[in-house]
Amino acid sequence: MAKVVVLGAGVSGHTCASFLKKKLGKHHEVVVVTPNSYYQWIPSNIWVGVGQMSIDEVRFELKKVYDRWGIVFKQARALEIHPEGDASTGKGYVTIEYTAGDNSGVRENVEYDYLVNATGPKLNFEATEGLGPDKNSYSVCTYSHAAHAWEHLQENIKKMQAGQKQRFLIGTGHAMATCQGAAFEYILNIAHEISKRGLSKMAQITWISNEYEVGDFGMGGAFIKRGGYITPTKVFTESILAEYGINWIRRAGVYKVEDGKAYYETLDGEDKVQEFDFAMLIPSFSGVGMTAFDREGNDITDTLFAPNKFMKVDADYAQKPFEEWSADDWPSTYQNPTYNNIYAVGIAFAPPHAISKPMTSVTGRPIFPTPPRTGMPSGVMGKITALNIAERIHGATEHRHKASMSRMGAACIVSGGFGSFDGLGASMTVFPVVPDWDKYPEWGRDMKYSVGEAGLAGHWLKVLLHYLFFHKAKGYPFWWLIPE
Amino acid sequence: MGKYRIKAYFDEAYPPVPEKSTLFWRKFVPWQLIRFIILNVKMIRIVVGGHS
Repeated sequence: MAKVVVLGAGVSGHTCASFLKKKLGKHHEVVVVTPNSYYQWIPSNIWVGVGQMSIDEVRFELKKVYDRWGIVFKQARALEIHPEGDASTGKGYVTIEYTAGDNSGVRENVEYDYLVNATGPKLNFEATEGLGPDKNSYSVCTYSHAAHAWEHLQENIKKMQAGQKQRFLIGTGHAMATCQGAAFEYILNIAHEISKRGLSKMAQITWISNEYEVGDFGMGGAFIKRGGYITPTKVFTESILAEYGINWIRRAGVYKVEDGKAYYETLDGEDKVQEFDFAMLIPSFSGVGMTAFDREGNDITDTLFAPNKFMKVDADYAQKPFEEWSADDWPSTYQNPTYNNIYAVGIAFAPPHAISKPMTSVTGRPIFPTPPRTGMPSGVMGKITALNIAERIHGATEHRHKASMSRMGAACIVSGGFGSFDGLGASMTVFPVVPDWDKYPEWGRDMKYSVGEAGLAGHWLKVLLHYLFFHKAKGYPFWWLIPE
Repeated sequence: MGKYRIKAYFDEAYPPVPEKSTLFWRKFVPWQLIRFIILNVKMIRIVVGGHS
């Protein structure tokens, strides 16, 4: 009997665990270690953040589903990886610490034959002075953050209803933060909610971002066919912001947030301040900070992890100028190069390089988005890793399933308001996520698959995806037919 | 929304903003049903082609 341990139960980890169990059945053991008792469908947190959904509409308890599937669930956080075992065991193990129940705080060593690191990001609020829900800004990165943001957003709405103008600042709260899509979605939903209440004149809504151009989204922007032209996402995105009455600040590296003030430096080296009454700023991400030790107890964290604490996989991590990076640098099997029974998927893997061109201000501060790995690519990585591990357990010697971000597309539906007939969605598809200028020298991507449009259809699609992915994540009938 | 704040020499002055007809088609249910089907087909093509 083989034992596969999955660390994390987000989009990538949960998908991986579900396909592992489906493929391995009762003859092998699948263990999921995650500090949270709930699965959350993160894209819908945006609707929690504007009061259109409750917390319980975007989450469910993992244990019930795992008990039904026969997956062992451990509500704990992973602290250390011992890939070679130690003096007492030759088998790799993970040291975990329980986070709930009677054994909260208790540590345990969980042995594995295969390990999948799907721990997602650490929301690194500390990297920006004064940033975060406990300090001077809000977040929509988790359902509790989103609910907290909505509590306070209502106060701002009441003030506007009482005739007091309010300033909203939404975007990235660190010079190298990513996940612009989530912030973009939130700003559109806030604008929609304000407009719906007839309060547009009382609101000044501002987008702030580390993107060189609006619409970069951490993937170097894209080109789409629109209105008889090949149009950059810069134009598409600016058009939507202008339509919603939102102004924008780009090339901004936020480095400090105080009560009502965000301090940022621009690529030109200018030091500026943006005042606000409500701010939702995405933090930078880092790995969760696990450490690793060899059989003798020596620290080998640097062998397994990159300096940003994300795990090294089958990517080309050689340092090279931006112009020399290629699509082939990106990983396709997510296997650790040192320990071939360890994999890292979703946000947990270390990307080989930025997709957006690295930019540095005249004072030396890097100001550009790091690569996004959320949503659709995360699910795909989780699935192919599960299939590869299951096949290895059944005797395969090679990885038959591959999914590189430079060979896979992504569909991004940005909600721009809620309602069957008055909601809006901006739908964007790109193929591949990482531009391949060798294969597609003209536009970096395949223009057959690159679409951008706004309309009710996008909103319906977003709502449909919410229910489809819940159906899938809960393991309801024929869940495996729903594609990643 | 629908009340643009366009001021020359500001960034907001230069992107295209939708005309009334564009806004109409975006919410015209029969047309959006067609777009919904087309978007679904495009996404399925992307999903199927994205991994082996």
